[in-house]
Amino acid sequence: MTDARFDELIHQSTRLSIVGLLAAADWADFAFLRDRLGLSDSALSKQLSTLEDAGYVAIERPLSDRRRRVRARLTERGLDAFRSHVAALREIVDAADSEPVVARQAT
Amino acid sequence: MEREISPLEARAALDTVDVGRRRVVDEIDLPQWYWWGLALGWIGLGYITDLKHPWLTAAATLVFGAVHSAVAPRVTTGRHRTPQLSVRAEVAGRHTARMVILAVVALAGVTVAAALAAGADGARHPVTMASVLVAVMIVLGGPRLLAVIRRRASA
Repeated sequence: MTDARFDELIHQSTRLSIVGLLAAADWADFAFLRDRLGLSDSALSKQLSTLEDAGYVAIERPLSDRRRRVRARLTERGLDAFRSHVAALREIVDAADSEPVVARQAT
Repeated sequence: MEREISPLEARAALDTVDVGRRRVVDEIDLPQWYWWGLALGWIGLGYITDLKHPWLTAAATLVFGAVHSAVAPRVTTGRHRTPQLSVRAEVAGRHTARMVILAVVALAGVTVAAALAAGADGARHPVTMASVLVAVMIVLGGPRLLAVIRRRASA
């Protein structure tokens, strides 16, 4: 079972979008991320660098069709952090959802 | 110091995560060339069968089977529609390839049944006719099958 652990670095909205997308993929091209998330090249680069520095994302530059491509993938550490973060978010939501029931039982 | 997160903010964050997953799920598909290649191969095989040269039919069937076996394992997982993304296996589901192969086997049955019906009706090229019918089903129905798989993956 995944431990619930809130991650401030992942929680920032743009980074959460990037990590949320990468969590469902083995890897994604820089262009795919940029287009789907509606980010500029520089904004995406900046966020990927932050995630890479934290060890959450690995940047790869495979050579295909004689073109240098840039693609990103979540590392094991990044995936663990993401799953823990999602578990923490679910705990907050579940706790809020169960509050009225607890209140009714108490009266 | 840990920041307090409101349930509303947590819910919005989970929605963002869900949107990211759906963006990837939307990419679960087979490349168009697979459906067209399968359909054209099907018609070719049907035409060769109508030539009534058993050795030629056997050879063509073997070639068709070999090419499909070489291509299918990578393509029918639905994880590589675009060269820009590889969908994680647990997101694409384990059943995509199985459903595609089952559909191909079912279409082989439809081809035989349609060819027998056309032959009984006196058609000169019953297998070609049946193959064209099935080829249309492949081109039109293949993407619909993947749409069903995508809906399951989104759920």
